[in-house]
Amino acid sequence: MNIVFHFGRYFIMMYRVFSKPEKFGIYRENTFKEMISLGIGSMGIVAIISLFMGAVITIQTASNIDSPWIPSYTVGFTTRQSVILEFSPTIIALILAGKIGSNIASEIGTMRVTEQIDALEIMGINSASYLTLPKIIAALFINPFIIIYSMFLGMFGGWIVAISTGIVTSNQYIYGIQYDFKPFDITYALIKTVVFAFVITSIPAYHGYYTRGGALEVGRSSTRAVVYSSIAILVVNYLLTQLLLI
Amino acid sequence: MIEVKNISKAFGEKQVLKEVSCLFERSKTNLIIGASGSGKSVLIKCIVGLHEVDCGEILYDNRDFKSMDIVKRREIRRELGMLFQASALFDSLTVEQNVMFPLIMYSGMSKSEMLDRVNFCLKRVNLVNANHLYPAELSGGMQKRVGIARAIALNPKYLFCDEPNSGLDPQTSILIDNLIQEITHEYDITTIVVTHDMNSVMEIGEKIFFIYKGELWWKGDKNSILETDNKEISEFVYASHIMKLLKSKH
Repeated sequence: MNIVFHFGRYFIMMYRVFSKPEKFGIYRENTFKEMISLGIGSMGIVAIISLFMGAVITIQTASNIDSPWIPSYTVGFTTRQSVILEFSPTIIALILAGKIGSNIASEIGTMRVTEQIDALEIMGINSASYLTLPKIIAALFINPFIIIYSMFLGMFGGWIVAISTGIVTSNQYIYGIQYDFKPFDITYALIKTVVFAFVITSIPAYHGYYTRGGALEVGRSSTRAVVYSSIAILVVNYLLTQLLLI
Repeated sequence: MIEVKNISKAFGEKQVLKEVSCLFERSKTNLIIGASGSGKSVLIKCIVGLHEVDCGEILYDNRDFKSMDIVKRREIRRELGMLFQASALFDSLTVEQNVMFPLIMYSGMSKSEMLDRVNFCLKRVNLVNANHLYPAELSGGMQKRVGIARAIALNPKYLFCDEPNSGLDPQTSILIDNLIQEITHEYDITTIVVTHDMNSVMEIGEKIFFIYKGELWWKGDKNSILETDNKEISEFVYASHIMKLLKSKH
């Protein structure tokens, strides 16, 4: 019953979010601000995680290949497939759910408990749309770029560790990451990215918007936002993979 | 003029408002008073539509607010300003941007016209040279002034103030009360102030509605409130030592 209630309220809120904006110019300006805040602000953490994850995938793949029948370029190939298909779109989305999601839920939640959302409503502004729509649009636009950037850095991290430890040569690694490349894999990754971008902005916005109480509840909303958006990412990831790859 | 007719509101099993009817007059400071938990804040939130009433009517100059859809309600809301208990200024915006916010959304003015209007409103509330400060850098009294400036930026027909004196010292409270009253008369606004502060009652109580356990218990003005023999209102008015002292001297 509780789940049905939250689903219903979430979809009602999304209906309000996607209704006609009061002033398009303000929403556009806010969307650009959010792109900087959500996108550029996440570049550092994405870079660090991608470089190290790429490096670890490369080492683990190399250490698990004992058969001489398996060619060395498999290391590059496996790193590329892991990074493009799963690591960059899904794991980075989970990381962003933590970073962006908690940020959105606590920002909107604090606005709720300090009556700032009531102030917007009193001014005749659709507060759900004003606070949420620029964040969703910004994430939908900027996240594909972040994920492509993460893919590049993941494979680059693998290359650095490959040449610095000598587990495979640079040529073998580069041959591996080019081997049997299917452009649809990128399309698949970007489709997931766009859906995840919606999830990691709309679910935390929902939890922040319906915060009741004080500072303690803002913290709880923030935690709930991260937990539920992470679960949603995993479920949607499974569904999209089933739908697009099989 | 705002008229509420027989409005009731319950939260679950708890009946907070019971068939309250009031007529709030134009160009007067209409005070809703009562003890904490009596339902006065719920009443003001019902009037502005932040809470939906269970039954009854809310009329803004004979326009039935309750039966309006969300789009028409937003049109009415553009005619009203509200000062919140905790000021509710937007944290991420400066004083100037806070006051300019409703102008950007609705006025259609040029940037320089908006800036003139912002400076006029800030000057009207005696707040100068604070344009570029953030709410966190302001004192409680200054935040209330910015709240009032933002509320009057679009020349509202109706002004709502929820506990405008909470957290303020007595001198600043009186300044804020007087400012609200001056603005009410100057711009011919229907003003509703929710308060439990007897200083405010005696300062600006042109029309007073006493709410007791969710019911309209008494109505009158600042002179008649001191003379009423109603037990509940006498307990409220003469709760403080200083008011008891004043009563004994008279």
